[in-house]
Amino acid sequence: MSTLQLKMGLTDRVAKYSRYLLLLPGFVLLLLFLLIPLSMIVGISFFERFTVTGPENLTLKNYVAFFTSPQTPVILLNTFGMSLLACLIAFLLGYPMAYFLVFRVKSARVRFFVVSLLLVPFLIDWSVRVVAWLPILGESGIINYALMSWGVIKEPLELLFGRSALLIIWPQTYLLWMIFPSYLALTRIDPDIINAAKVLKAPPHRVFFDITFKLSLPGVVMGFIFVFVSALGDYVTPALWAGGIQTLGLSVANYAANFVWPYAAALSTILVAIALLILYVLLKVVDIKKLVY
Amino acid sequence: MGWGDRLAKVYIALIILFIYIPTFFMIALSFKSGAKVSFPIEGFTWDWYVKPPTGYEYSAYISIMHDKNFFTALNNSLFVSIVTALLTCLLVTTTALALRKKIVGRDLLFYLFLLGFIVPGVALGLGVTFMFRLFGIESSLLAVAAIVTVYTVPFGLILMMSRFDPELATYEYAASVLKASPLSVFRRITFPLIIFEVISAAIMGFLLSWGEIIRTQFVMKGMGTLATYIRNELSINPITPKWFAAGTIIAIIAFVGLAIFAYIMSRRVR
Repeated sequence: MSTLQLKMGLTDRVAKYSRYLLLLPGFVLLLLFLLIPLSMIVGISFFERFTVTGPENLTLKNYVAFFTSPQTPVILLNTFGMSLLACLIAFLLGYPMAYFLVFRVKSARVRFFVVSLLLVPFLIDWSVRVVAWLPILGESGIINYALMSWGVIKEPLELLFGRSALLIIWPQTYLLWMIFPSYLALTRIDPDIINAAKVLKAPPHRVFFDITFKLSLPGVVMGFIFVFVSALGDYVTPALWAGGIQTLGLSVANYAANFVWPYAAALSTILVAIALLILYVLLKVVDIKKLVY
Repeated sequence: MGWGDRLAKVYIALIILFIYIPTFFMIALSFKSGAKVSFPIEGFTWDWYVKPPTGYEYSAYISIMHDKNFFTALNNSLFVSIVTALLTCLLVTTTALALRKKIVGRDLLFYLFLLGFIVPGVALGLGVTFMFRLFGIESSLLAVAAIVTVYTVPFGLILMMSRFDPELATYEYAASVLKASPLSVFRRITFPLIIFEVISAAIMGFLLSWGEIIRTQFVMKGMGTLATYIRNELSINPITPKWFAAGTIIAIIAFVGLAIFAYIMSRRVR
């Protein structure tokens, strides 16, 4: 056997195993900071106490308490209703943006400039960005100030507390999460398909709904998932602005802050389970892998 | 120019305006002489930026340049974000390269990485807290960076995996037919073609970790990063224009950084 053959065999084997080797760093990170923590939540949710020495007394009490609480339906409706609405608003605002960027902005340089411009506010501190709504929508903000000085209203409107606050802040904060995957999916559409439809005299709305929108669905669904779970896991915005409206995420944070670990764990498990269920349903409808493979 | 193009321009401008509205108000009100963040603006002042402290005021009234905690938090934030950015582009590149080919359990692995973003932040934060508690691990900025990386990787991964198109594979095949070793194919062909995505992944990592608050807040007790420091200050102290001054300073740094970056990158954009 010549040296060359030996070398070839070696590189082949290296190439074969290197793929698995390449997966290793990412997988180690996932194992340590995703899979183990997740199994901890699920595990601890079935115990009565979680003390310094470890969990004590196996029980189903936490789940029974949650599902029999009269507050539960309200909390679930708030959590998922508000998150879905935020998704919908982000979609209505973000999808046309992605569409126009891909199909109407011809110059790659302008497109790049616009995308960079979108990123700047995301570098401003998150809390400051949210608080900056205060002078606009707050009780003595510019909208109330203007409306009252014109005599349109006598009492200031409560724009920035309660549900409406979430529907302004969430879409604005997570808009990029919707634009980005939609944009990516739209750029992957072969322009020849659209041209073919146009040549065959398809009306513009048919071209859009039957071709462009349908082909960009994996991106839209990914955007939906991103915005939805971001809103779902955000307890900071509801805590500051929702004015006493309870969400599941906020409850988790409250129970954890009071060291009621197992109950917080049970709530987290339910939150994760419902998020995964919705994800599963969405994946059944649309194959988001089309976006990447 | 057709009406469609005009509509597109107006729409893009409106969305940018919508995203920038709070930023404009933030900058304007950071120069306000009164302590309430509301209208009308009584007068113009630099006090929220540079006024030397007397030593008797509450933290919400100390000017931002004299707030030592602000700079500690800024340092922490820069550390976490830079580590996250480096980890993200490294892990995205290795993982995307591994998931390119049909390997055993590719779909499952892809979904598993996606899960890092999908698990609600509050749940993951709690899980990591449990893990640290059970194994007696002290939380640190490095741990924060690792947790945030779990959440930043999916974005870059999607971006990079969508870049691996048949065209790129053709170039690589051509190189390997010409007897280039796998390593030099990667170094000379693949890497130069995906450099844009590698850098994008790093930027995504930086941006996402810069704004990340939910996981950090849960895991990091004490001051933590800029995001958690300011959020804690805002939730216990009165809201003064000081924080708008802080936001303005961060915005200026961010804008200059991104402008330099965008200029360099725009010369590479095809």
